[in-house]
Amino acid sequence: MPETTLEIRPGVTIPEHLVGEVRSKLAYVDELIGGAEISPAGDLIHLYLQRKPSADEIQALKEKTNRVVNLMARGVIQPKVEILEDRLDLPLPYRDDPLEALTRRHEIHQEASGVYTLGPLVTRLMDYFETRFLALANHFDAAPYRFPTLIPARYLSRVNYFRAFPHSLTFVTHLRSDLDVIDHFAAHAVADESGRINMPADTYASIETLLSPAVCYHLYFSLADRKLDSEYMVATAVGNCFRYESSNLSSLERLWNFTMREVIFVGSKEFVLENREASRQYMQTVLDEIGLAYRVESANDPFFIGEFRRQAAFQSAFQLKYEIRARLPFRESTLAVGSYNYHQDFFGRHLNISLPDGSPAHTGCTAFGLERLAFAFLAQYGLKRDDWPVAVREGAG
Amino acid sequence: MSDSTLLSKVKTVLADVFQVPEEDLSDDLVFGDLPQWDSMGHMDVMLSLEQNFGVEINAETIGSLTSLATICAYLEQNGNA
Repeated sequence: MPETTLEIRPGVTIPEHLVGEVRSKLAYVDELIGGAEISPAGDLIHLYLQRKPSADEIQALKEKTNRVVNLMARGVIQPKVEILEDRLDLPLPYRDDPLEALTRRHEIHQEASGVYTLGPLVTRLMDYFETRFLALANHFDAAPYRFPTLIPARYLSRVNYFRAFPHSLTFVTHLRSDLDVIDHFAAHAVADESGRINMPADTYASIETLLSPAVCYHLYFSLADRKLDSEYMVATAVGNCFRYESSNLSSLERLWNFTMREVIFVGSKEFVLENREASRQYMQTVLDEIGLAYRVESANDPFFIGEFRRQAAFQSAFQLKYEIRARLPFRESTLAVGSYNYHQDFFGRHLNISLPDGSPAHTGCTAFGLERLAFAFLAQYGLKRDDWPVAVREGAG
Repeated sequence: MSDSTLLSKVKTVLADVFQVPEEDLSDDLVFGDLPQWDSMGHMDVMLSLEQNFGVEINAETIGSLTSLATICAYLEQNGNA
């Protein structure tokens, strides 16, 4: 638990629309930081620290915090906010955080920060939502795919993922193929009280593989350096995704290991945009049947500090991303449970995916975070099935 | 400023941002024609236009100024060059 607080007045006032983005990035400033808050006016930062810092550490914390604020907020371009659907005011029967009740009833079990096992209640809810997403995929005649959990570093490097999202990477390694190293590990390795394995870094092989941060990347990589046989394709897959969020990991809202279902469109600009819009309209009916209180609004990806200002402005200007944000009544805030994305020809160019006419393919996807959707639903309707909307009660009973 | 002078000045800015010779920039250059003119490159172009021509860059302009021709037309009407 954080033991001490450090107040910092940033050199630049943080605009209101950036407060959440900057706050989440402060978790990556220093390992001392266990949490952060920013005043609504954006002129005061509270860092919650794991222990009392030295004078030098305070100086470093202030310098790094100001670096984050400067890079993200100085000269920031106001995003174009667009709301496509608004059902946030739907009457809801539940106002508590469902996490406590789920834990008490052993419906969830936390294995580590951001890592949960899910019991029958949440699993059945996710399975039900999956049937609705599969129906969406069938509506577009999407071809089913199954992708691995691991993803090669060379692929992520090729699409500049390391530059855009370095903070959320999760690396995979194994013991070096050396009998002495393996014997030593087998004889002496234990996980200490903090959960860390007590072996030196050179025990492990260099990193060539990561845990996958997104589902659709695997499809794009499988199409790399190819000319498509047809003018378009639609695919669907569900997969485990991994995004490390440091001290932002919390509850089922921000998981390190989560499940994502995607419907993926590849083709011309017109094809991708038309189908992204068609999927939004299809899901509008589904979300109404589920009874979700939500809003669909323009958004940006959580780019890391140095990339954030330019990339977020670009996404906003070209309307590349819309999020489905479900209401969390217990906090009077919203949580992104899905998104409608258009990547332009970014993957087509970087991965050399071309259409039959030789032009670079455009791509887009409609994506849903299954745990988040289940959590938001439970936050709105509670754990009693009798209180759930009919479609969910019958589908997930 | 004449059209050709403005075009030449914009080409100088783009050549500087993209680190290419000006003669490599055709008059009908559009976003994506050069590998450097991607999302990050586009935002560098916008910021450079802001600094060099005193125009205001916002979400609308970022989304519309995607070719040499539209940049020149916009600067003709709004720039302080």
